[in-house]
This record gives sequence, C-alpha cells and structure tokens, in this order.
Amino acid sequence: MHHSNVYAVASKDIVFESFDGEAVVLDLSNGKYFGFSDSGSAVWQALSSGVGTQDLIGSIDAAALEAFVAQLVEFGLLAPSDAAPQPLPSDFPAALAAAREPLNVSIHDDLADLIIVDPIHEVEEPLGWPAVKQAS
Amino acid sequence: MPRVTMATLPDYARYVIAAAEASAAHFPVTRTIRLPGLELTAHLGPGIFADSLGRAFIEAESDRPDVRRLRIFVGHPGIGNLPEPAHWGDAHFTEHGFAQKLAEAGLRGLHFHDLDFWQLQDLGQRVGVQLMRSADAFPPWEPGSPLRAFLHWEYAARGMRLTHAGTLGFDGKGVLLAGAGGAGKSGTVVAGLLNGLDSVGDDYVLVDLEGGVSARPLFSTLKQDPRGFARLGLKTRLGADGLLNWQGKHTFHIEEIAPRPIPATLDIFALIVPHIGSGGTSSIMPMSRRDAMIALAPSGIAQMPGERESGFRFFSDLTRLLPCYRLSLGPDPEEIAGTIADFLARGG
Repeated sequence: MHHSNVYAVASKDIVFESFDGEAVVLDLSNGKYFGFSDSGSAVWQALSSGVGTQDLIGSIDAAALEAFVAQLVEFGLLAPSDAAPQPLPSDFPAALAAAREPLNVSIHDDLADLIIVDPIHEVEEPLGWPAVKQAS
Repeated sequence: MPRVTMATLPDYARYVIAAAEASAAHFPVTRTIRLPGLELTAHLGPGIFADSLGRAFIEAESDRPDVRRLRIFVGHPGIGNLPEPAHWGDAHFTEHGFAQKLAEAGLRGLHFHDLDFWQLQDLGQRVGVQLMRSADAFPPWEPGSPLRAFLHWEYAARGMRLTHAGTLGFDGKGVLLAGAGGAGKSGTVVAGLLNGLDSVGDDYVLVDLEGGVSARPLFSTLKQDPRGFARLGLKTRLGADGLLNWQGKHTFHIEEIAPRPIPATLDIFALIVPHIGSGGTSSIMPMSRRDAMIALAPSGIAQMPGERESGFRFFSDLTRLLPCYRLSLGPDPEEIAGTIADFLARGG
C-alpha cells in the first residue's frame, strides 16, 4: 500500500549527522552538503525516520511543510516511500518548540564534484582495458 | 592507447601495481620518509618530484610502537616494464563511483584525466603506484604535498585523518583552523608562527581522535599569495626570489619561520573558523557546531579521493568533541597572533 505522505531517505548515499540538534546532510554521490535550520532539523529527523507529513501538520504550517518537503525531494534527499508511517518521536514537540529559525535547508555545493564527461565518441579505437579478444 | 572502464578498473589497478612491483629493481632512487606511525618508502626516478619528497615532509621521531611500512612506486614508461598509463574509457566519471568500485576490491585510487595520471593503492598489500606519462607529468599541486592521497588512504584505514586545516598552539596545546580557501586560515598560521606560536602545519595535518583530539605534522609547505607575503613581512624575511607556484603563490617551509622545532603533536582543544573581519580588532566568538562542521568537512573530503562517508563521520565526531569558535580577523598580523595567544593561554 502506498502512503503518499510518507518519505524515506532517497538513497544510501545520503548520510547525515546532528550537531546540538542541527542536522548536516551530505550527498556522497556528488559531494553536496546541506545545512538545516533548527526547525528544519526537527522535521528532517522526523521525515527521514518515516513519520508521515500528516502527523506533522498541526505542529507546522501545512503550506510551509509542503514547500519544505518539495525542496528536499528536489535536492534528492527524500523520496516517497511505500512504508507505513512511523509514530512521531516523543521529543519532536519539544524540539520544535525550542526552535528559533523557520523551516530552511541551505545547500553548500562550492566544492561538489564536477561530473567529468569523457569525449568517448571522439576515440577512434574502441579498445578497452584489458583488450577483449573477439571470438572468431 | 588502452582505456579503462568502471568494469575493468580493479583489474587495471592490480595490473599496474603488479607491473611496478616486478620493476622494483629498475627504480633509480629510493627515499624513506618517517611519518607518525608510518615508514614510507618511495621508489622513483630523479627529478622535480624526487626533490619535492626531500623537502615537503616533516619527519617524525619513532614515536609509536606500531610503525607500519608502506611502499610507493612513482614511475612512468621507461622504468622497468611500467606500462603507458591508460585513458579513462567510460562516458561518465564520478569520483564517488570510481572510489566505490575500487573500495569493493580492497583498493584505493585517483585518476587525473588531463594527464592520464593514476595513483593506485592496495591497502592489504601496503603498496601503491603513481603512474605518469613521464617524469614530470604530474598535476601542478602534487609537489606541495606529494603522495598525500596515499597517506590519506593509509591513515584513514587506521581511523586517523589527513585534515584540511591549519594549526596553532603553544606548550603542547593547540587549535585547528578550518575553512575554505581565502578565509584567512593560512595567513593566520603564518602570523602565529612569526609571533612565537607553534604549528604542526597548514593545509594538511594528521588528526587522531584516540584519547582526545590531537594533530601531528606531515607536510612542511606553507603558501601565501604575493599580497599576504608582503603584508606578513615575508618578502623581507625570506626574500622574493623564488618562483610562484601553480596558484601564483609563494611557497616556503614551516621550519623557515617557526620560532622553535616543530612539535611532534598538539593536543587540540578548539576548532576555530577564521574569516576576514571588517577592519577592527580580532575577536573569537562561539559558533554553532553545524556551521563549524560545514566549514571544516567539505574541503577535507572534496580534496581527498575516496573515504567520503568515513570522512563525514570522522569530521562529525571531531566537531562534536571540540568547542567551536568564529575568529574575526583584524588587519594586523601581530594583533591576530596576540588574540590567538591569549585564547591559547586561557585554554579556550
């Protein structure tokens, strides 16, 4: 059954750590970093743990949450999940109440990888390593 | 010219390493470098790269009982049976995919496409190869911190980390200075050294979290752009006759300006993120660990091939172990050094 309001971390290349309640996420595949505001960190922790967005509405403005989730999906950090929603962590209300910043995630990609595209089509001899002998 | 694809990458790495080992007797120069817990033996030919090995390191006393040995062959066709370095043959190349493919086979590697420059290491066999088209076909940044990728892989496998940070300290206690290029990190390290503080290096130092955070020296190279070089009085002190490096910077060595012998280690008690201030006096203020992590980790991970997730976890642990501060830099090097000396004397 598909729970449209449940999300999961988009891939195993998305890793994250928390610092005094503030999350930093790294996409290992491209070297992009994401820094979350305090309220954004609480929501990220909840969503990445499988809490459904429906369970967050009421604590957070629905439109702001929708925009925030859309941004996380666009960044490739979250993806829709078929899993059943998990219960809201008991410390979520306190974390949100203590938050001073609006929902926000900032991207730090100054040092992210450049995708290098080799002009393979300009190589005349399609010889790989080791050279594979064709069966005659 | 042979080409390597993702599918053949591990086999190619093993082929190159085997070819180097089989050619060991043909390398004309052997240099042994003693680093913390590591004896690195480099087999190579004469030239600029060999010269850089003689100058770029701060060698360690035998400080640990668990010294390991690592052999690195630096060569090119013409030495024994070393092959021509291969081209990369896939349409796409991502550093992470490249590193993952090698890691699955117990290997580590780096490929610089423009020069068909390869650095490949077998962690289990403790042997690595830097394969080049010719003796001088290496990226221009290599002589400043030669073989750093091999050291990065070796130390990462042992739970330590080459960390892109500067250091300053006094009486065995010190701070890490982190941040992207242009933030004032290197100028701060030089200002401190010129005014009586110690350092175990700028750019890349070896950080260990075992029993508290410590930093050890590896590379002796310091850099300053011509403006900083003049502002810090280095033009008068060192002369300005040397060639500028590939970044247009003066390079010199820590021993040339250090007030006393380089300490074998600094016990690190704070992580400091410098930035150029608005012209007033220097100040040190607390900052969030999240922001300090984002200042510290990206350059340390991006500049080192592979070990991305372990690096992220390592720098996270490091950041959580230390109080974090933002250093607003004033214009006067002596005043900057005084601010840090006061901070060191207070212990944070």
